[in-house]
Amino acid sequence: MSAPASQGEVRVFADYERDFRESCDVVVVGSGPTGSVVAHELAEAGRRVVLLEEGPPFTPGEFELEGTLSMTRTMREAGLRATRGFVMPTMQAIALGGGSLVNSAICVRPPEFVFERWCSGFDLERTTRKDLEPHFDAVGEFLGIAPTPEDVQGPRNLLFASGCDALGYSSEPIARNVRGCRGSGECFTGCRSRAKQSMDISYVPAAIRHGARVLTSVQVQRIRSDGRRAAGVEGQVVEPFSGKRSHRFRIDADVVVLAAGCVATPVLLHHSGELANRSGQAGRNLQFHPGVAVMGIFPEPTHPQFGATQGYQSLEFLPDGFKLETLWAPPGVMAVRLPGLGLEYKRHLARISHCAVWDAIVSCNRSLGRVVPRRGRLDPVLHYDVHPEDVKIFQHAAWVLAEILFAAGAKRILPGIHGVPDVLHSLEEAEVVRRGEMRASQFVSAGNHVFSTTRMHGDPARGVVDELGRCHDFDNLYIADTGIFPQCTSVNPMYTGMALAHRTAQALVERT
Amino acid sequence: MGLWLALAALLALGLRRVFVGYPGPGLACLAPREAALVAAASEAMFPTGGEIPESGPDAGVPAFLDRYVATVPPQVRLLMRLLFFLVEHATLVFPGPAPRGWRRFSALEHGQRIAVLDGWRTSRLFPRRLVFTSLRAMLTMGYFADPAVLRRIGLAPFAVDSPVCEADLLYPPIGRPRSEIRYGPADLTPPSDGTPLRLDGPLHPDYRGGAQ
Repeated sequence: MSAPASQGEVRVFADYERDFRESCDVVVVGSGPTGSVVAHELAEAGRRVVLLEEGPPFTPGEFELEGTLSMTRTMREAGLRATRGFVMPTMQAIALGGGSLVNSAICVRPPEFVFERWCSGFDLERTTRKDLEPHFDAVGEFLGIAPTPEDVQGPRNLLFASGCDALGYSSEPIARNVRGCRGSGECFTGCRSRAKQSMDISYVPAAIRHGARVLTSVQVQRIRSDGRRAAGVEGQVVEPFSGKRSHRFRIDADVVVLAAGCVATPVLLHHSGELANRSGQAGRNLQFHPGVAVMGIFPEPTHPQFGATQGYQSLEFLPDGFKLETLWAPPGVMAVRLPGLGLEYKRHLARISHCAVWDAIVSCNRSLGRVVPRRGRLDPVLHYDVHPEDVKIFQHAAWVLAEILFAAGAKRILPGIHGVPDVLHSLEEAEVVRRGEMRASQFVSAGNHVFSTTRMHGDPARGVVDELGRCHDFDNLYIADTGIFPQCTSVNPMYTGMALAHRTAQALVERT
Repeated sequence: MGLWLALAALLALGLRRVFVGYPGPGLACLAPREAALVAAASEAMFPTGGEIPESGPDAGVPAFLDRYVATVPPQVRLLMRLLFFLVEHATLVFPGPAPRGWRRFSALEHGQRIAVLDGWRTSRLFPRRLVFTSLRAMLTMGYFADPAVLRRIGLAPFAVDSPVCEADLLYPPIGRPRSEIRYGPADLTPPSDGTPLRLDGPLHPDYRGGAQ
């Protein structure tokens, strides 16, 4: 056995020379936005914390600017994970800082009606927006969450605002966990400016300052338990990128907090002998915010490579089931949605410098799926089907996006919907988007907001955790990722997950 | 006996059409038939000329995909290989346009390849469209990985300074031990001040053309 890690340090793959065993007050599995908050709050309160992360820490020199290679390095299954049923890519990061390293830093508080729905539908009493405001405030202050400044919006974001203005729809700069954005539009491949306050450069270093031990390149494979108590976790060291497994480790802890993500956490419970799953709900109720995007081509260059990756949004249609936002990604990723072949395809590619892509994230509360673990593997099968009523929201959202694009001055739009003409030149032509009944498979979608696979519920027979994230079946096993959301948030989920994690951490501080 | 010989001859002919007779060698990871398919598909998707002069092979798409396939997890690699196999050999069952459409994809003429890919793209069957979307996604990302193509359409990434922050004092380069952490407290620099990048500012060094 090697010596235990000393207080306040990071271990990386090259540091592990043999099997090891350590102990702590609290072990946190997963260093994404929620796990990092829990680790920091508990370390700051003087608890002995070990934070475990399967991926490595990245520094700017290691960011790949090319989208495919970036995903290969920072995402599980090389970024090619997809649901079955309604086939849709869904990504999960594998890096210190989790998804915060490669997301666009959007921080939105859900409207009150989301929490009212949660409380009334899931027997919750202390999860109103008012209950969570102090936790939102604490996280917001720590990360410097603020609206995106005008001077780094760039034309493609500002065009969205002008289109919304022309139609009388509300819009606003997106609040983000960013300090000193320069508008490089590279949020999805890692912020070279170090402006994005991803967890690896914000909460994790702060947790280390307070004595947390951070072990990277370690894969938790099982939760150890003794009766109704979790005793710790065990697993193996994994080589970055290859995933090759080597030394074994074991962490003994008084409290175990799972923040491995909505997909991995139920798999971990399953591989630990259906732990904390007397309700049978672990892995069920899988929800997404499928995205619907429409591209517009403008007469003047939009210089889309400049500007905040996602700088503007509209919450106007939240009651209708979707949120609108601007979008940019590596050019190769954006180009995938263009129509045509051969020289026609090249014509479209050459106009990307004149484009703006805006998307809607859809609250598919009627559409459910499940996480199906596979023997000996931590990457499960994801089944997901879109309810026909939710497809109607796709259509409505695509129509509104078309409206805004034309109102902003687009000369043509590319809806990217099978069965609809590749190019539409007017709002009249765009009527086809909202007319008639469509199938989900006609839409090219992606779903990177994932929820509810270990949902909170006041009734232990109908949910996995209580309002504070504690597993109903266990005294000292907590879950702090988006799996505990009773339903989708209707807005980008990171901020809500962090606020709930902050509340869980405070409850643990009081308890331990 | 004659019947058996005829069947064996047919089988041998069939196997030859599937596996044998590729003109070039494979690449580091891609087998000869996979390399031929990728080259043919990238030529069809991005032919020479048009508003971006570089063709798919000019832009190094086959070499890019060779590297890409080598880096993905084994299960994903298998799926990619199945996809290549399917596209390359589907025309032996569902032929491309005449004349001589009953050949492997990589052996078809340029116009025939376009027609075959368009059939995948516009199919009423979702799985067929999915095959096309997956193939085109890989080819497109390979095409846009070429700095010359990105420069041509004005989307090459900017040069961006990376300030040295507290995290840089904690993490070594990936795969290296902590003793190789590059920075100490004296190396810390002020954080980004939020000065917007300039559209006419310098490009990332890897994306600068020879003239710059």
